[in-house]
Amino acid sequence: MKKEIGSFVVGDSTKCTGCKACELACFTVHSRKENPVGKTVGTVTVPVTPRLYLTKFEGGCMPIQCKHCEDAPCLNACTKKAITRIDHQVIVDQEKCIGCKDCMQACPFGAIALLPVSKGGKVVAQVSGETRVYASKCDLCQGIEGGPACVRVCPHQALRLVDPEAEREEKNIRAAEALLLTKNWR
Amino acid sequence: MNYFVKGNPDLCIGCRTCMIGCVVAHEGKHIFEIDPDSYTFNPKLHMVKTAKLSVPVQCKHCENPACMAVCPVGAISRKGNAVVIDTDKCMGCKSCMDACPFGAINMVPVAGSSQADGSEKVVANKCDLCSGIPSGPACVRVCPTAALTLVTEEELDSAMEKKRQEAARTAYREMYPQK
Amino acid sequence: MSMGIPEIEDAGCLLCFGYNGADSHPIVARRIVRGRQKGMKIICADPRVTETARISDIHLQLKGGSNLALVNAMANVIWTEGLADTQFIEEHTKGYDEFLKVIEKYTPEYAEPITHIPAEEIRKAARMYATTKPAMILYGMGVCQFTQAVDVVKGLANLALMTGNFGGPSMGIGPVRGQNNVQGACDMGALPNSYPGYQNVTDPAVREKFEKAWGVPLSDKVGCPITHVPHRVLHEEDESKRIHAYYIFGEDPAQSDPDLAEVREALDKCDFVVMQDIYMNKTGLYADVILPATAWGENEGVYTCADRGFQRFRKLIEPEGDLKPDWQIIAEISTAMGYPMNYKNTEEIWDELIDLCPSFKGATYEKIEKYGCVQWPCRDKSLEDKGTPYLHKNGVFATADHKALFYGTDWHPPLELENDQYPMTLSTVREVGHYSVRTMTGNCRTLRNLEDEPGWVQMNTEDCRRMGFVKGELVKILSKRGYCITRCLPTDRVKPGATYMTYQWWIGACNELTTAKLDPISNTPEYKYCACRVEKIEDQEWAERHVMELYDDIRAQMGIDTGKGAKA
Repeated sequence: MKKEIGSFVVGDSTKCTGCKACELACFTVHSRKENPVGKTVGTVTVPVTPRLYLTKFEGGCMPIQCKHCEDAPCLNACTKKAITRIDHQVIVDQEKCIGCKDCMQACPFGAIALLPVSKGGKVVAQVSGETRVYASKCDLCQGIEGGPACVRVCPHQALRLVDPEAEREEKNIRAAEALLLTKNWR
Repeated sequence: MNYFVKGNPDLCIGCRTCMIGCVVAHEGKHIFEIDPDSYTFNPKLHMVKTAKLSVPVQCKHCENPACMAVCPVGAISRKGNAVVIDTDKCMGCKSCMDACPFGAINMVPVAGSSQADGSEKVVANKCDLCSGIPSGPACVRVCPTAALTLVTEEELDSAMEKKRQEAARTAYREMYPQK
Repeated sequence: MSMGIPEIEDAGCLLCFGYNGADSHPIVARRIVRGRQKGMKIICADPRVTETARISDIHLQLKGGSNLALVNAMANVIWTEGLADTQFIEEHTKGYDEFLKVIEKYTPEYAEPITHIPAEEIRKAARMYATTKPAMILYGMGVCQFTQAVDVVKGLANLALMTGNFGGPSMGIGPVRGQNNVQGACDMGALPNSYPGYQNVTDPAVREKFEKAWGVPLSDKVGCPITHVPHRVLHEEDESKRIHAYYIFGEDPAQSDPDLAEVREALDKCDFVVMQDIYMNKTGLYADVILPATAWGENEGVYTCADRGFQRFRKLIEPEGDLKPDWQIIAEISTAMGYPMNYKNTEEIWDELIDLCPSFKGATYEKIEKYGCVQWPCRDKSLEDKGTPYLHKNGVFATADHKALFYGTDWHPPLELENDQYPMTLSTVREVGHYSVRTMTGNCRTLRNLEDEPGWVQMNTEDCRRMGFVKGELVKILSKRGYCITRCLPTDRVKPGATYMTYQWWIGACNELTTAKLDPISNTPEYKYCACRVEKIEDQEWAERHVMELYDDIRAQMGIDTGKGAKA
């Protein structure tokens, strides 16, 4: 069978209002396991660390996140092999990451950020006492029921989960139908 | 203007000779002599079959290519009369695949390459109009029913001019039916 | 074929019946496409949306197994609406009145529930066929691979006779043959009942001629058709008729024949099996002796095209290894068995043959060379006789009184129908990349790149949705006789309830499922209709591994190196 291609989420700046619901949802679903976040008001005792970034620019705003590249520069740049491909998605291992920032520089989208590691409702400290950080990026909500939380919570449907090969085949059919209309172009 | 190859669903019999012709043209004749596992079979056009039609779909070589606009690493550029991908620069981010409205770009493994995790490098793949191949687009050459045509600027212009002439004559006849 | 293939594109109307040129013969399909461009009307009778159906004026998407009901209903319309060519019928045919008695009841309304085609569509098609001249009929395995095959062929000939569509160019009826050079094999007498040139083995005068020419006494009995072989090996009670030795040449019955379980048992029980081929195949696994032969390009000779055209093919390269051309192998075996054959080349064989076959007599090597192609009958060696592009010129038929005969027969359903246990139908089909049983094309790397084991089962999109199958998923398909694993291909080109599989795959081998029921005259099996069931395989990873293991296993048995980088 053909090699499968990783999915990814894209934002749409024509629909995005910059409400940051996606960022909060992302932080919440990813923090439930290690931190008591999201049960009631006032449970957020750790820094808010989303894995996608609402980005404002002259044309408006939209969230930017990982494309799960097939020849991923971040994965190829990581000397510690902390970035691997799991089920077609590019995933950072928080425990392995030493914060060298090579992946950040390699990524052409700015989809990776250094963010603090929190556990049990507290940020984790290193030997020096400083906060431990790691390369944080979208994992497409792997293992989280319902799929990408950002897509689910966006009030304006400005985020879309892309199955690239399936969409490509759909677009192929539309392109072929257009050929029926233009067949007598001469 | 960029050139492009287009298929005619009335003539296509869905045989996929174009796909084989494409791979052979890009791989070179040695494809028949090398180890069958040492090349990858990545046609740059896609056979579409629905209840109504059979026809290959490939890149239109748009004048304002969406794929080129979204590429974060400048791997897509215009070369001669074609829009081409520099697969050495490509890092497989799929932005172009998502941007192309025709589904003309797919992601394919590069034979013999490897990434840091040992897996094959996967890059964007699309029609390059057989750029650099002297005999021109292979799909056009090999099609047994001549269902594929290379559309050039000259041809498109002359077809448009012909249609304008025809439209003018029709309008004239309507105004002066006796002439 | 009564016409020549180049004539196809000049027909006014083409009735394409159970024939999928794009997959079986792209070169013929090209003529159809070109005819379409020239304004040819196309009526396509096929249960699937084939490439021809797609560009047709009328697509009669009939229910599989209802061919004769449709053909008779078209004849009924032509007759009742007064569209028949009464002068042609009067002057050149016999048996019309008896025929009308048979088709009388086949009104389009009668045929509608059988064929699942609206009566009005049948009328429209019959009118178009009868009123557009010249009209041509092409048919393929969708007619021949049923237990009611010969009857439908006659039914189609009836349509052509009724409308006077014989005796000129771009008309008549054309069986587009199932295999490359199958026409040649029949021409050369590779049939149980005839010597070369369609001369009957039971005719004493013919036998005497061949006995004299070859200097040996010859049998006056009709031989055994290939589809009877398993029975004659396994179940023949009369010891004198039981088959003990089987010499198989350029054929792979362990892949291509119906009910493979029975074929394997027969090959296993047969005392002595000889296989002569250019590549290893499934039959080879049962052979006691394998005779490696040369391929096209390594030898030379004559092929006959489906339109009766003899064409020379030539040697391009020297064969490598311990192998010989087929004709040399046969000559040496004959010599070893006590009948010396000392031909120097294929031309000597050809010259002997054409002198014994009146309808081939004029087709010398020199003439074929000069004209590129010579269509038989070609009776005179002079260069003026260029052969016969179309048959029955001026309505003269090859019967004693030169008149054609109408044959009316009633429709009957296929022999194995859908039931509770096997609620779907299976029809075996072709795909363009792989020729016949893949013995050759399975070894061609780019064709394998396009399609490889375990092949596909084409199913209606709605059926797939209901059963929860997605494209590419491995499924198990079963019939009363066996099962195999293949990939699911959802498509809107097939009707609900029907499945289609191509018959070349070793793993997805649909002939594990097909029935060995035969047409009583042609002895061709009902490959186009049997009952089946498709089941989901829950553990897809296991299935993928299992398929690879089966494939590796078959290749290992065939002695193909399965090590990395040596996929045949």
